[in-house]
Amino acid sequence: MRWLRRHAHALGDALRRMAAQPVASLFSILVLGTAVALPVVAAVVMKSVAATTAGLDTEPHVSIYMAPEAGDEDARRVEQAIRSHPDVLAVKFVPRAQALAELQATTHLAELLASLDRNPLPDAFTVRMRTSEAGRIAAAKAAWSRLPKVDQVVADFEWSERLSRWARFGERVVLGVALLLGGAVAFIVAHLIRLQVVTRREEIEVSQLVGAAAADVRRPFLYHGLLEGLFAGAAALGLAAAFAAWIGSELSALTPSYAIDIKVVFLSAAERAGLVAAVAGMGLLGAWAAVSRELRRFAADR
Amino acid sequence: MIRFSAVAKRYPGGLEALRDVTLEIGEGEMVAVTGRSGAGKSTLLKLAAGLERASAGTVLVQGQNLGALGESALAVLRRRIGFVFQDHKLLFDRNAFENVALPLRIAGFSRDEAARRVRAALDKVGLLGREKAMPVALSGGEQQRLCIARAIVNRPMLLVADEPTGNLDADYARAIVELFGSFHQVGVTVLLSTHDEASLARLDCRRVTLAGGTLAGAAA
Repeated sequence: MRWLRRHAHALGDALRRMAAQPVASLFSILVLGTAVALPVVAAVVMKSVAATTAGLDTEPHVSIYMAPEAGDEDARRVEQAIRSHPDVLAVKFVPRAQALAELQATTHLAELLASLDRNPLPDAFTVRMRTSEAGRIAAAKAAWSRLPKVDQVVADFEWSERLSRWARFGERVVLGVALLLGGAVAFIVAHLIRLQVVTRREEIEVSQLVGAAAADVRRPFLYHGLLEGLFAGAAALGLAAAFAAWIGSELSALTPSYAIDIKVVFLSAAERAGLVAAVAGMGLLGAWAAVSRELRRFAADR
Repeated sequence: MIRFSAVAKRYPGGLEALRDVTLEIGEGEMVAVTGRSGAGKSTLLKLAAGLERASAGTVLVQGQNLGALGESALAVLRRRIGFVFQDHKLLFDRNAFENVALPLRIAGFSRDEAARRVRAALDKVGLLGREKAMPVALSGGEQQRLCIARAIVNRPMLLVADEPTGNLDADYARAIVELFGSFHQVGVTVLLSTHDEASLARLDCRRVTLAGGTLAGAAA
């Protein structure tokens, strides 16, 4: 009960300190919030790009086009050769008639296609590969090009590999910026709390004389740091959400121009909670470092 | 209540404030430490209250060896000891009530219980009507009594007062000494220091004299 009350006192003390200087508190929270909003916005952009490209097939696959004069027997032999390859996950045969039907159904070329006296499309195989290693796909591609009656082998994987490279690069940039600015949160809060501790030095020393342990002295400052972090995390989410809404309206106006659905994906509930907790944790860490350092300095002066 | 065994205290810089002090103060006793300025009175009191640690020897308070206590255990022990500081150590940015309430806040008392105890303590020192006053608005004697109220608000078993009559005129000093006498009468162990023996004249208590950091003689 006393333990709980001491925490309640410390929390109340921290809140009162912040309320006593509303403008200064608001500014420090906004400074922290803006710093944290930066990587949040970057993460939202990354997530949105990932969500947009997730609809596209990014698995490496190889298309094999038969020569126009190839017959069913040739196709069967080629299919057997492909299936026996160790890097092949699945093979789909697309007969030329089906390819034509699909083309007619999905494009506006129906009239043009109907005017042709014969099907210009070849039989084809779509092969999903087990590997995304460029070297092995190239090797398979070369082997299949040599099969009889194979006209062309197209490995459609380079762009997807490039895309995932870019995604990894983007994630690393976001993580790096987040770590830097997380450190900045700890430093800013440490500075803030250090000033508080120094201005309250007399109160701290008298409290220690009448029975306050170091933990008792630290407690309100730790709550102060924690609260700065909590509010800053919430402010960052607010700023990032406003930003997302702002660019989101512009993006949805763009969507009809492209076949793919572009939309802004904000952080999930778990990610939002994690962000606020992480920022609060950095605030706590900064406060702890500052108070501990100042208390050691006070003790050394005595 | 308090037992000093061969206690010495050296400060950084080489000043030896106490040397080989052995002293026992029983429960419910009232002891006055006398001696000139610089004789080591303040150091003896601070060691007894756990505000400082001995350089050598052992200090036992209520059966606990202060030298063996950790920082937080020592802080908890200090909550059971009232200390009246020579320079009062009041906080000038808060009023009389809040100054007295400080030890209770630290100990985690509820607001109502704290308010009751603070008023009782202020009443005992005659400052009940001035709970809203800021320390600057109080006279030297009133500040002294405010400091006493803060020392007794935790209802300590041991009350330690460093020069409580210093800088006060004779009548005021006598009143303060009588106040300590009244705490003693209700069973509180009282340890006080003074360089002004006159103010103790009417007080029936044991005297201990310090000179140059050692006990010069103990009169019962």
